Amino acid sequence: MIKVVQYINQFFANVGGEEMAHIPAEVRTEVVGPGLAFQQAFKGEAEIVATIVCGDSYFNENLEEAKKTILGMVKEYNPDLFIAGPAFNAGRYGVACGTIAAAVKEELNIPVLTGMYKENPGADMFKNKVYIVSTKNSAVGMKDAVKKMAPLALKLAKGEQILSSAEEGYMPNGIRVNFFEKERGSRRAVNMLLAKLAGKEFETEFPMPDFDRVAPNPAVKDITKAKIALVTSGGIVPKGNPDHIESSSASKYGKYDIEGVTDLTEATYETAHGGYDPVYANQDSDRVLPVDVLRDLEKEGKIGSLHRYFYTTVGNGTAVKSSKAFAAEFSKELLADGVDAVILTST
Amino acid sequence: MKLELGYIYIKDIQFAEESKVENGTLYVNKEKVKELVLEDEHFKSVEVDLAKPGESTRIMPVKDVIEPRVKVEGPGGIFPGMVSKVETVGSGKTHVLKGAAVVTTGKIVAFQEGIIDMTGPGSEYTPFSKLNNLVLICEPVDGLKQHDHERALRFAGYKVAVYLGELARTLVPDQVEVFETPTVKEGLKLYPELPRVAYVLMLQSQGLMHDTYVYGVDAKQTLTTMLYPTEIMDGAIVSGNCVSACDKNTTYHHINNPVVHDLFSEHGKTINFVGVIITNENVYLADKERSSNWSAKLAEFLGLDGVIISQEGFGNPDTDLIMNCKKIEAKGIKTVIITDEYAGRDGSSQSLADADASANAVVTGGNANQVINLPALEKVIGYTSVADIIAGGFSGSLHEDGSITAELQVITGATNEMGFNKLSAR
Amino acid sequence: MIITNNDWVYEKYKNYDSHQVIFIEGSYKDVLVKTRDKIHEGYELLTHPLSSSLKPNETPFKSIIISEIKDKLNVDSLIIIENSIMSWEKFNNNKLKLNFTQQIIEDFKLVDLTVLEGALNNK
Repeated sequence: MIKVVQYINQFFANVGGEEMAHIPAEVRTEVVGPGLAFQQAFKGEAEIVATIVCGDSYFNENLEEAKKTILGMVKEYNPDLFIAGPAFNAGRYGVACGTIAAAVKEELNIPVLTGMYKENPGADMFKNKVYIVSTKNSAVGMKDAVKKMAPLALKLAKGEQILSSAEEGYMPNGIRVNFFEKERGSRRAVNMLLAKLAGKEFETEFPMPDFDRVAPNPAVKDITKAKIALVTSGGIVPKGNPDHIESSSASKYGKYDIEGVTDLTEATYETAHGGYDPVYANQDSDRVLPVDVLRDLEKEGKIGSLHRYFYTTVGNGTAVKSSKAFAAEFSKELLADGVDAVILTST
Repeated sequence: MKLELGYIYIKDIQFAEESKVENGTLYVNKEKVKELVLEDEHFKSVEVDLAKPGESTRIMPVKDVIEPRVKVEGPGGIFPGMVSKVETVGSGKTHVLKGAAVVTTGKIVAFQEGIIDMTGPGSEYTPFSKLNNLVLICEPVDGLKQHDHERALRFAGYKVAVYLGELARTLVPDQVEVFETPTVKEGLKLYPELPRVAYVLMLQSQGLMHDTYVYGVDAKQTLTTMLYPTEIMDGAIVSGNCVSACDKNTTYHHINNPVVHDLFSEHGKTINFVGVIITNENVYLADKERSSNWSAKLAEFLGLDGVIISQEGFGNPDTDLIMNCKKIEAKGIKTVIITDEYAGRDGSSQSLADADASANAVVTGGNANQVINLPALEKVIGYTSVADIIAGGFSGSLHEDGSITAELQVITGATNEMGFNKLSAR
Repeated sequence: MIITNNDWVYEKYKNYDSHQVIFIEGSYKDVLVKTRDKIHEGYELLTHPLSSSLKPNETPFKSIIISEIKDKLNVDSLIIIENSIMSWEKFNNNKLKLNFTQQIIEDFKLVDLTVLEGALNNK
């Protein structure tokens, strides 16, 4: 009998919604939430011996501790397979699933599987590290997700050969696997062109590597007269993170006033970013958001002025779509405020 | 231009006193074939053999595969500019010995190209394992230069294919398919509402053993131009390309171009298949720019809504492919491109030598680096010992028991970039 | 300017007035790297480095044509040579240990030469 340990969040365990996202990891021995559907789909070949329930906020804000604890829990049960989620389009849940699945795979050498919607930030982050089954974008797609995940899960547990992403239902992970289609390539090309001409959806058989190039604006004419603003994805926030910008998969950005501030100190600023060792940024946030240097340049007349507001978010696992949306919003303010150029810092 | 293709289905091939086709069997007078080949003084001897589907036979190294056809009605003859005169073909009636092929083998250069297995795992990767093949093993005279050897072998293949095709002249076809392309003016009147689609066919054109001929003209010397799709069905384009067995287009691939056939099946229904734009793949970068500029220019000139682009070969043709794609997309014309991949043995490397975000609709013929084990077969036609130096092979790839471990690269037609096969990758 | 490690190419073109020939005593990769260095100096790439369908881990010979004179950095040339070097590295992860006889070596030289000739015709 194949032993499976499952990981789900507070919502799917029926503990509660956002308000319960802070609960720490705990083990349930009874089958919970999606586990019921999985158990059925396994048709007696596998059983879920334990379900780990963890709040999404807790996981994302206490990454190291949560990982350690959960790995310990998994190790105790010594399963043949670890399944996380499916997370559908829930960003922090998806990142949690990807993170914990990758950790179990790397540190415990147990086959892992997770599932989420293709636009979940966890997908881009982890699809090349662990198998991620492509699901619909909400829990309405649970039945469909389990249908795809269960057979692949059993294959992984049994150590069987995993075929191409198109055949097995996982997200293309950068490893090309050959297989025979039902129709010849020229027919597939004609079908694809017909879909493209009709404006219908189609799926390319080979995604081009992502370039996402942005054409640079022309250079600033006179930098000594320019108003420069600072924008960062390095997560620098006032001490205490008053707006609770998440350490990963940020759902918001912050706008803070540095009028009169010439230097960021350990007492007044910190980093909210969960994706890098925060020690040096917490000691001196100027290292990520160079306010002190720009104030010097301002005094020396090398730049016109430093804009009084800086904008910040956490770039860790934040969806490209979200980042674009934030910027579209606050760049309007930057323009209205007469900012000529922006220095973008990232980590 | 309208062409009727009459298929005579060949289910078996045998040597006999008299060459003829009877009840689906192609009978071949071996001596007559040898005579034909030896008309060319560049050959000192020739062997002729048979390879049938399901037999435990391996053919290697394969140079070209050619299908026997004959022009029954209408201007010109098969392989215009090569074996026949240059008259424009593609109209009237042509008969095809469907299920038969001529396969040429030979050591033009010491590194060898192309395996066809008629049975076993290898047979799944080549369309030629399903054909009744007449194999020519031609021995060149001593000291023959490679250019002359390549040319002689190429023509030997066409001559024999034409000789066999002739046997179908007076037969009644088992099945007839009609293909018709209207002129631009007629097409606009007939199909005013249908999207205008053309096929951009990229031809390998780099030098010795990397050439393609259009009505006998070396594709290196050509400017991007147009053909009626049916001209291709009469052999207007033939292959002089013998390097990279998996993704080179044999003459058989050209004359049976699957994109042409599949676009025709939609013609008049969902699209207006306007025609074929042929363009080359020269090594000189300015030539690449010029050729792709012209593809885009012609596509726009024809008022196209969409194109399918197929390429041939590895490496620098990826640049031509992306140039063609980018420039045509920039004209507001939608593209689908067909390629193959070299993603490394583990499938994790960058598949193409070039890329662009506008190439968002890609069909792939598979990863050519995938390693395959070909079991020893009872009969080998050709030269075995070359497996070690076959492209995609490696030292130790020919095992003592006669089996071969090599990349898919070695199998003729395995990752064809016209979309001839069902192999793909994700 | 022709950059090559193929002595047949060197011998054939060394006395032409129209272009220089730089002979590299080294590997296919060395030819790519020299070409890249020249591109950084401002020379323009005239032929595609991945010429011929012979893979970078099959043939040891490579000839590339760049402009005779230099100008500003040509970004297209840079992108192509970098991609070609990446391609070389990708293929040479699967090192094919081929046994080259004299005949095989000559055949590789011939293909490299004829492909170069094909590119130079009418230029």
